[in-house]
Amino acid sequence: MDEFLSTEMCARISCTFHAQRNGYVLKSVFRLGLSLLVFLSCIGSIQAQTPSDAIMMKQREFCVALAYEYGAFDEYWEGTNLRKNETIAEVSRQAVMPMVAIGIMNKLNFYVAVPYIKTESTEPNGGHLQGANGFQDLSLAMKYEILNKEMGKGKLALLGAGGYSTPITNYLSDYRPYSIGNGANEWSLRGIAQYKLDMGLYVRVAGGHLFRGQTKAERDYYYNNGSYYTPWMDVPNAWEYNAVIGMWLLDNSLKLEGSYYAQKSTSGDDIRKYNAAQPTNKVEFDQVAGSVQYYIKPVKGLGVLAYYVQMLNGRNMAKFTSFGVGATYQFKI
Amino acid sequence: MKKNILTLFIVAFWGTLFVTSCEVDMPTMANYSAYDFSDLDEDGGDWNPILLAGTDAITIAAPEDVSSPAYQAELSSLKSTMASLNGEQRAAIDYWTNNSVIRWKEIAMELVAKYNLIPGPNDDGTYTLPNPAKPEGPPGFPFAHPAYAVRVYAYMSVAQFDGLTTAWHYKYDFNRPSPSKVDNSIQPAYGDTDLPSYPSDGAVIAEVSRAILTAMFPLEKDYLRAKADEHLGSLMWSGTNVETDITAGELIGSEVAKVALARAATDGMSKAQCPKPVSDSIKQAAFERFGWKWENQEIPVRPVGLAPLYGKVRMWNVPNVEDVRPVPPPAIGSQEYEADVKNLVDIANNMTEEKRRIANYWQDGLGTYTPPGHWDKIALDLIIKYKMNPLRSARTFAYVDMAMMDAGIACWDAKYYFHYPRPIQQIPGFKTIAGTPNFPSYTSGHSMFSAAAAEVLAYVFPNEATTVRAWAVEAAMSRVYGGIHWTFDATVGTSSGIEVAEYTVAVAQSDGAE
Repeated sequence: MDEFLSTEMCARISCTFHAQRNGYVLKSVFRLGLSLLVFLSCIGSIQAQTPSDAIMMKQREFCVALAYEYGAFDEYWEGTNLRKNETIAEVSRQAVMPMVAIGIMNKLNFYVAVPYIKTESTEPNGGHLQGANGFQDLSLAMKYEILNKEMGKGKLALLGAGGYSTPITNYLSDYRPYSIGNGANEWSLRGIAQYKLDMGLYVRVAGGHLFRGQTKAERDYYYNNGSYYTPWMDVPNAWEYNAVIGMWLLDNSLKLEGSYYAQKSTSGDDIRKYNAAQPTNKVEFDQVAGSVQYYIKPVKGLGVLAYYVQMLNGRNMAKFTSFGVGATYQFKI
Repeated sequence: MKKNILTLFIVAFWGTLFVTSCEVDMPTMANYSAYDFSDLDEDGGDWNPILLAGTDAITIAAPEDVSSPAYQAELSSLKSTMASLNGEQRAAIDYWTNNSVIRWKEIAMELVAKYNLIPGPNDDGTYTLPNPAKPEGPPGFPFAHPAYAVRVYAYMSVAQFDGLTTAWHYKYDFNRPSPSKVDNSIQPAYGDTDLPSYPSDGAVIAEVSRAILTAMFPLEKDYLRAKADEHLGSLMWSGTNVETDITAGELIGSEVAKVALARAATDGMSKAQCPKPVSDSIKQAAFERFGWKWENQEIPVRPVGLAPLYGKVRMWNVPNVEDVRPVPPPAIGSQEYEADVKNLVDIANNMTEEKRRIANYWQDGLGTYTPPGHWDKIALDLIIKYKMNPLRSARTFAYVDMAMMDAGIACWDAKYYFHYPRPIQQIPGFKTIAGTPNFPSYTSGHSMFSAAAAEVLAYVFPNEATTVRAWAVEAAMSRVYGGIHWTFDATVGTSSGIEVAEYTVAVAQSDGAE
């Protein structure tokens, strides 16, 4: 049930929000959803200033962002069975995500983010277990604009992105549901396509694959449909899918967006009955999200955003409900 | 320029992916091959078995002479079998090796881990206990908690040991040479051996292990039958034994298992998980005696602790459990108690990575092979390191497991006699990094299992004594770091575990194997 607590969760959440005006989504580049959102908003703001050009941050443009997210669940999918568990009662996860985006070239942007995460159970609970907190993973990502051309009454954009994240603290991934992350390296590859009408309406689809490495537990035996005599656990790879519809309003200063996101592990075991989750679990979920971003015209480069995410279905996943708020500031050197 | 950067990026990405995908190997079993035994223990037939009256208590027929037509027919059958092995059969030869005691211990540990799941509450807040009369459940039977697990390990190892002392007795009584000694055209997979072939020690191990584990894990009957069949097959595929060696070994295994399971049926385990009125009276007796009582803190509350009458289960080597009952714990509110409250709060508020690592390393909680399994794994590695033969291996496990089970029984006696509360019951707002189990605090099961196992291992492997004793102390303290035990639970538990193990070591010292 903890996968949610982990970075994945964040990532998913954020993913839902990639939409910026031109629709180039950084999106899943970062596992951390928050960060993504923020980024996108940065990009969005740029767009607002120069609507004719586009999608990416231009060379020598910088965006710094900070977001806060609160998520909680009191039900989770044990395998595919949705259940409660008073041992953990309701579990909350709070995250603070600082992030920086850099326009290396007009068609190539770079991103870096490091979230701080805190998890705990509400009182009362039957387990009396400590939550966890700490800095999680360093995420690095590059996004490249492959195509951006006029087509009919709008613009078609195609992008590719690659990312890498790695734990930067010795947090314990094998402490579900309180673990703050998967504790494994992850490489991601994503493809993004967006069509945006000149009147402001856009749709975007994206797909990606997450390559995960192994995570090291602090025990040298575990059960994963059989015995494993090692502290190393295999974190399953996953596919992800994303669909977005959005609209720019108020002279391109307000963006409204709705999205759907799904992720499926390519392997892994189910949480056993009334047992704790572990990093080897096969995680699946889909969720919907809504977001609003506003670019404050009087303050050049400043934007704010808020979003809400609801998980719909899952497997070995917490049924999270989350919201987030953030601010972005963009400048050029 | 742009293209160059993009190309660089793509190359770097896939390069990193490639390099890092050379991931750590994740073993699912002990990594060893058939090996030359450090000693054949030719006098093994003179050692004292544990349950049997003697190594000749079970009788088997004398084998046909190797020059007889019957044996020669068996030999040619063996040769033709060996000449047409398929891939699965070759894999089985590699897997089972010439010391299958190790593989059966791994099978037992894996089943424990599979069944070590605590039943959760029903929708109405009640709990249903696993029922051996209806093993399919829900919840499935058994719940292989540490007290159940150590009993599995002990009965299997004791029965293996008795079966192998019997086998050794007849091996050196009849002295039938191994097939490759009779016919040098046979190339045995595990190398030539001077160990007599009749009866097959592998077949004893296969049958006795299958029978004990099937009784303990009834839902695994078919799985265990298949494992035993493969094991028995590997004895011929590897050129180790002819058919009559194997049937004689199976007979011994079957007879020993009956003796062991007859003891298990009457050792008191079936009454250990007593009903609530009995549990309540035990709790009330402790309260009247000491003025405190442990209460389960879960939601919904579990009405009965884990196996309140496990302390009444028949011990292996300690005549009376009260002989090894520890001194009472510090009274609630006493100076020593208050000092330890402060100590636990201090540990929790200043958790270090090292203490966290120790708490997790020795936790061996739900879904694992339990603390006794962890110590059997340590024993298993030492058995391989010191190249023990199957008889010596079974002896090591038998004494380690008997000492651990006796320690578990003594520990449970103390737990329910003293009925001492856990830290989360006593310290307001206290949080732990390990799950608090469903039984009283004093003394710590981990400390007693670990100390008992370490004492026997120190006796069997004197060169490892310092190491294993230090591990036992670390395992005991791991529960304090985890926040689920008082310091005196661990320290008194360690002393008590050592005391209990001395009874088993004394038996081992006089069994004829030294």
